[in-house]
Amino acid sequence: MNEVLSIQNLHKSFGAAKVLQGISLGVPAGSVYGFLGENGAGKTTTMKIILGLLQGDRGQIHVCGEKVRFGHTTTNRFLGYLPDVPQFYPYMRGREYLKFSGEAAGLSHSQIHQRSGELLELVGLGTVKKKIGAYSRGMKQRLGMAQALIHQPAVLICDEPTSALDPTGRQEILDILRAIRATTTVIFSTHILGDVERICDRAAVLHQGRIVLEGSLGDLKARQGSQGLRLEFASREDLTRFCERVLDEFIELISQTSVIVRTTDIRQEHQVIGMLADATIVPLSLEAISPTIESLFLEAVR
Amino acid sequence: MRGFMVFCRKELTESYRSYRLVILLVVMALMGIMSPFTAMILPDILSGSDLGGGLILELPEPTSFDSWTQFFSNVSQMGMLAMILVFAGLMASELSKGTLIPVLTKGIPRGTVILAKFTVATILWSLGYAVSWIICWGYTIYYWGAQDFTHPWITFCAPWLVGELFLALMILGGTLVSNWGGSLGVVAVVVITGNLVNLLPEVRPYNPITLAAGTLGLLDGSHSVEDFTPAIAICVGAIVLCLILSIVVFKRKQL
Repeated sequence: MNEVLSIQNLHKSFGAAKVLQGISLGVPAGSVYGFLGENGAGKTTTMKIILGLLQGDRGQIHVCGEKVRFGHTTTNRFLGYLPDVPQFYPYMRGREYLKFSGEAAGLSHSQIHQRSGELLELVGLGTVKKKIGAYSRGMKQRLGMAQALIHQPAVLICDEPTSALDPTGRQEILDILRAIRATTTVIFSTHILGDVERICDRAAVLHQGRIVLEGSLGDLKARQGSQGLRLEFASREDLTRFCERVLDEFIELISQTSVIVRTTDIRQEHQVIGMLADATIVPLSLEAISPTIESLFLEAVR
Repeated sequence: MRGFMVFCRKELTESYRSYRLVILLVVMALMGIMSPFTAMILPDILSGSDLGGGLILELPEPTSFDSWTQFFSNVSQMGMLAMILVFAGLMASELSKGTLIPVLTKGIPRGTVILAKFTVATILWSLGYAVSWIICWGYTIYYWGAQDFTHPWITFCAPWLVGELFLALMILGGTLVSNWGGSLGVVAVVVITGNLVNLLPEVRPYNPITLAAGTLGLLDGSHSVEDFTPAIAICVGAIVLCLILSIVVFKRKQL
């Protein structure tokens, strides 16, 4: 698989605090990669090392095949970066800032003109004329997205782009990420697990400086397997008869005719089906409960 | 070079829109107007003052030399103070707010940022200083007639050069500490140390801070150019050193 970003054995300490303890991961081209972790897990530190803004203590990072070097900006031509709280020059207007960003990235005037127009439309700031100083937080986040994309980077790195936004603002940012995924690999850190579930196809969980879970969302869920079975019975009597055969600790009553049986592996699920057969009960429905990204995350950081 | 020009344009725009340029020009123009005017009216104000015991102060008629004395005094105090306050946030505010992060991730090298900031600050400071000097010169000619200067560049550029040193120090301080305190602190330490060192007569010729008060000795002929050469050379060297150090520190700075 063609990787646009690879990290090998990355370490970073701030004084005595070991923030990263040998993380390794690869981000395939074309993916939307969720970088999950609790606050202080090392997500921002990792991103800043990728961008050459911070110096790793050990380990290597390659972006589009080129090695990242601290303090140098050559690999940044492949990268667009949206900081968690993007800061702009308040006296500029959005279009003006994009022109400045485009010039800084070495684009021609015609490219800047064309890209600015496209991106301002994409992020919904096409008609906004006021200065950035008067922008709301959500508007700044959207302008941040536009400036990060002005030079059509191969990889967009977003540091918690939705954390501080209201539901509408969050939806807008997720829609933008969804819209660009065809042309740009997206890596975004977050602790909002629902956002990962909605748009990511791969994810890594960073916990105490280590990657504790990594892979495609489908693989991760399949690896964990079902978390239980949800059964709906025709009558309360059927439910009672079934519950008599199962230990109380595995049972979670949902209603008078439905129940969840917690299982840890497929063998236990086979046993539940065997119990139904033994008791000659045919449930109205039987459904395996898939793990959510939330349950995967909680399991990984336990 | 592209990145340098892009960042210089941004700095110029910022100076204009944040009123940095206007404030500096107004203050420096006031210095230029006040200096000859003060020289002109000071004898009228002070003459005839009773110093006590029947002693009456008599001052001679003011000359163009008094006008330039006032100019150097005003520029080295109020002018420098205005310049320091206007430029103290040059690096510090960008680093503390984080506005440089998107710029650096777009590919502008860190050294370029330092050089562009110093270049634009130099342009603005030079403009302000020139405005002040030209106004003072015009009024001095108006009041006292044309005057020949033996070494005009060295005579009048000395305080400007100290201003350049302060700019370089503020960039270094801001880069080191990432806040206004760092910028102002470094300048304060250098000014205090410079004034303390001035108490030693043998060190004085090498002390760049003496240049801030001007080179009046060249105007009245009491000093030669050679008397100021060591301080000027050390001042230029210190500016270059501050800029090199700023670039080195900034390149190693974790952002």
